[in-house]
Amino acid sequence: MMTVKLQIVIGIAIVIVFTILVNMIRRRSLELKYALSWMAVLCALFLFDCAPKLLIVVSDFLGIYAPVNMIFFLGFCFSLVIIFSLTVALSRLSNSIRTLDQMVALNEKRLQELEAELKSAKERKGQEEESKIWKN
Amino acid sequence: MKKLVIIPAYNECGSILKAVDDIKIHAPSFDYVVINDCSTDGTLDICRRHGLNHVNLSVNLGIGGAVQTGYIYACQYDYDVAVQFDGDGQHDAAFLDEMAQELVETDSDMVIGSRFIEKEGFQSSGLRRVGIRYFSALIRLLTGKRVTDPTSGMRMVNRDVMQIYAKNYPKDYPEPESVTAILRMGKKVTEIPVVMKQREEGTSSIGGLRSVYYMIKVTLAILMERLRG
Repeated sequence: MMTVKLQIVIGIAIVIVFTILVNMIRRRSLELKYALSWMAVLCALFLFDCAPKLLIVVSDFLGIYAPVNMIFFLGFCFSLVIIFSLTVALSRLSNSIRTLDQMVALNEKRLQELEAELKSAKERKGQEEESKIWKN
Repeated sequence: MKKLVIIPAYNECGSILKAVDDIKIHAPSFDYVVINDCSTDGTLDICRRHGLNHVNLSVNLGIGGAVQTGYIYACQYDYDVAVQFDGDGQHDAAFLDEMAQELVETDSDMVIGSRFIEKEGFQSSGLRRVGIRYFSALIRLLTGKRVTDPTSGMRMVNRDVMQIYAKNYPKDYPEPESVTAILRMGKKVTEIPVVMKQREEGTSSIGGLRSVYYMIKVTLAILMERLRG
C-alpha cells in the first residue's frame, strides 16, 4: 500500500505541473491541442493518487504486486504514447517546412524574373516615348 | 527539347563557378539552375555577383530537399529532361550530351552516369565500393534490375520521372532509394560509363559513424520501397 506521505507528494507534484501547463497555454506558448494528452495523463494520475483502492483493483487485474508500480507503469506507457505522437507530428512538420521552403524559394525566383521583365519593359517604353518626343 | 542541369550547392563557393563554366562550355545545349541550400560560406553571394541562375532556399533542407527543388523547378518551367550534377567538381559536363542521347535513343526514363562500367577515373575508396556493390545487389534482389552505380549523383531523367520526384523524394542519401522507387514503378533505367574525379572542394557527407547510419538507413529505405509495392 502507498504511504499517505507519498500520496501527498505525488498530489502536490501533479497540481504544480498542472498549474504550469495551464499557465503556458494561457500565455500561448503551448498549443492546447498538444497539451490535451498531457492533461489526460495528469488527470489519470491524480485519480489513482486520490483513490489508491482503484489502483489495487486494476493492478490485481493485471497481476502487478504493488499499486505504486502500477502508477509508474501507466505513466511510462502514457509517456511513450505522447513521445510517439510527437515524432509523428515532427515528421509531418518537417515535410511541411520542406514544401514551404521550396515554394518560397521558387516564388522568390519567379518574382525576380518578373521584376527584371518589368524593368526592361519600362525601359523600352521610356525609349519609345523619348523617340516620339524627338520625332515631334 | 529543353534540358536542365540541376546543381545542388551547399557551401560550394570554391567550385560552383567552375561547375557552371564547365556546363556552359561542354554542354551548351543545357540550361542550368543552382539550388543554394542555405549555404553559410557566401555561395549565394557568388551566385548573385556572377548572375548565375539560382534558387535560394532559406532553410537548409539537405541534398534531397535541394535536388527536389530542382525537379519542381524543372516541372514548372516545362523542361523535358533534367539532370543532377554535383557542384563540387566530381562530375564532368562533357558526358551530359552523351547521357541525353542515350535517354532518347533507348527510350529510357532515367540514365545514370556509372563509374563502374568501364572502371575508369576515381573509383571511390575500397570500403565504399563494397557498400555500393551491396546496394547494387540489394536492388537487384528486390527489383530484378541491374544498376552498377546506384549511388551515382549524376542522373538524367525524363519528364515522367521528374514529376514523380517533384512529388516524392527522400531527404538524405536519396540516390539508391529513389532509383529503387522508379524501378518498382516499372520505369526503364539505363547506365552509361562516365569518369568522375575526386572532389576538389569540401568533404564527403559520408564517413565514420555516419556511414553506419548511412548503410542502415538506405537499406531500410530500399526495403520500404519494396513494401510500398
